[in-house]
Amino acid sequence: MNLGDERIAAAPLPTSRTIRLRTFVPYQLWRFLRINLRMVAMIRKGDH
Amino acid sequence: MARVVILGAGVSGHTAALHLKRLLGKRHEVLVVAPNADWNWIPSNIWVGVGRMTTKDVTFPLAPVYRRKGITFRQAKAVAIWPEGDTVDPLPTVEVVHTSPGRAGEVERISYDYLINATGPRLNFGATPGLGPDGNSLSVCTPAHAEQAAAELGKVIERLRAGEPQRLVIGVGHGTCTCEGAAFEYAFNVEHELRAHGVRDLAEVVYLTNEYELGDFGVGGMVFEQQGFLSSSQLWTESLFRERDVHAILRAHVERVEPGKLYYETLDGVQDSLAFDFAMLLPPFRGQELAAYDRTGENITDRLFAPNGFLKVDADYSAKPFEQWRAGDWPSTYQSPSYANLFAVGIAFAPPHPISVPRKSPAGTVISPAPPRTGMPSGVMGRQVARSIAAMLTAGAQTPTHTASMAAMGAACIASAGTGLRHGTAAAMTMYPVVPDYVRFPGTGRSVKDTYGEVGLAAHWVKHLLHFLFIYKAKALPGWRLIPE
Ligand SMILES: Cc1cc2nc3c(=O)[nH]c(=O)nc-3n(C[C@H](O)[C@H](O)[C@H](O)COP(=O)(O)OP(=O)(O)OC[C@H]3O[C@@H](n4cnc5c(N)ncnc54)[C@H](O)[C@@H]3O)c2cc1C
Repeated sequence: MNLGDERIAAAPLPTSRTIRLRTFVPYQLWRFLRINLRMVAMIRKGDH
Repeated sequence: MARVVILGAGVSGHTAALHLKRLLGKRHEVLVVAPNADWNWIPSNIWVGVGRMTTKDVTFPLAPVYRRKGITFRQAKAVAIWPEGDTVDPLPTVEVVHTSPGRAGEVERISYDYLINATGPRLNFGATPGLGPDGNSLSVCTPAHAEQAAAELGKVIERLRAGEPQRLVIGVGHGTCTCEGAAFEYAFNVEHELRAHGVRDLAEVVYLTNEYELGDFGVGGMVFEQQGFLSSSQLWTESLFRERDVHAILRAHVERVEPGKLYYETLDGVQDSLAFDFAMLLPPFRGQELAAYDRTGENITDRLFAPNGFLKVDADYSAKPFEQWRAGDWPSTYQSPSYANLFAVGIAFAPPHPISVPRKSPAGTVISPAPPRTGMPSGVMGRQVARSIAAMLTAGAQTPTHTASMAAMGAACIASAGTGLRHGTAAAMTMYPVVPDYVRFPGTGRSVKDTYGEVGLAAHWVKHLLHFLFIYKAKALPGWRLIPE
């Protein structure tokens, strides 16, 4: 096994709950809002 | 009436042109030189490369937009800059060669009062023998390349359906490549596509990279705060690779690509080879081939441009050890130190040094990513330089009034990992600032609050939204200004 694959084999796997949440629409709508707000905040920071 | 000439109509040049026209109105001329007739939203080429979009979805003709906005357009390629004019006329000029069907090959000298070089990268496939669509591997850098990649992917899927195992190698084709984020994104889109077609089990997907570790992305990796812990983009990325069963070859420099086989060297000096059925390997970038001459006709290209062909701007280019690199070395106004009316934005400016730790193999081969200059910072540079030039032209400002340092600017990278509005996913990463500042943010170099990553459907929606918003903005349709860069 090469170095990359060795590290990958030891990486943490998401739980089934995490995987479900990734496509659970109500939760993702909330995340959508959060990502957009974070991006807007970041854009503001960089405005000079 | 003054004339501002912009070389390039990509993310940074097109943004600069629209803002300049908005700020200068009819009082001054804004002239854009670009060899292609169409504008291209490059990030969505990834979706063209898996057959989920077509060239038409990611491009539109520039001429009607420029006509509507009152911007002069020359479909041509810049080949030389005469920043002092010549012995006959002291007006600065740029020499262009037309590329439109009616005027192809015609040479023209265009005079300017201000010049912005926004010519982006030259896709340097030639750096690795056999690399690229004219050789033995594929690319997704242009819509045409991406269409070709999609067609080849279709053939791979057919072979898998027929029960033939296939190895797909996706990554970078040289030790000094940048844009690992795009390669990563394409790898996960391809992986998703194979699953969507029900042929994943016989396919081996390998990500081949010059990064020292996964999650480096040419920015030296990121530190995220997750559930009360400081975690790394490395762990986060490795987890995604494990979940989706994607293999990785790290710290690699591709030396040559033969039909169905590539040869590479790794940082520890090992030479190896890898057979493949499909290989999408991004090329390293160089600056475009632009020469510069002084008034007497003497070649001053080396004075204006760095050896990699990118234009030198207000950065600290002095050679110093890695430990001494500072956020303040990075440029902020993008003005050439040689000529006050010359600027470079986007990929066209010369970065002072890499962001990832530079490394060499025992044989002296550089195997570490060059610094990325992604869409958001490129667009912001275009806008800020437009504002500075407008202030210099209309308000008599003597020096640039606006800044856009990558050490004071964030970036968002949304790497889609599958399509579909209900089941698609994407990895969203934001970082602030792009260039770590260890004085402002001791230990991590970046704000932990503003640097984060997550995987989910929401990120995929954001990616889709950005596709439509940026194309809308680039078409300069009503309210375009309200959409941030
Ligand atoms: C496959 C891929 C995916 C990507 N995905 C993302 C992403 O998801 N998010 C992100 O932020 N960034 C992404 N990027 C990076 C992003 O595309 C660049 O940051 C951005 O395009 C840089 O803008 P630019 O204006 O410097 O160059 P470009 O957009 O490349 O524009 C250069 C312009 O100059 C013109 N030109 C070239 N030569 C000449 C010449 N001699 N004279 C005149 N004009 C010339 C070109 O025709 C073009 O119009 C991706 C890049 C690739 C390749």
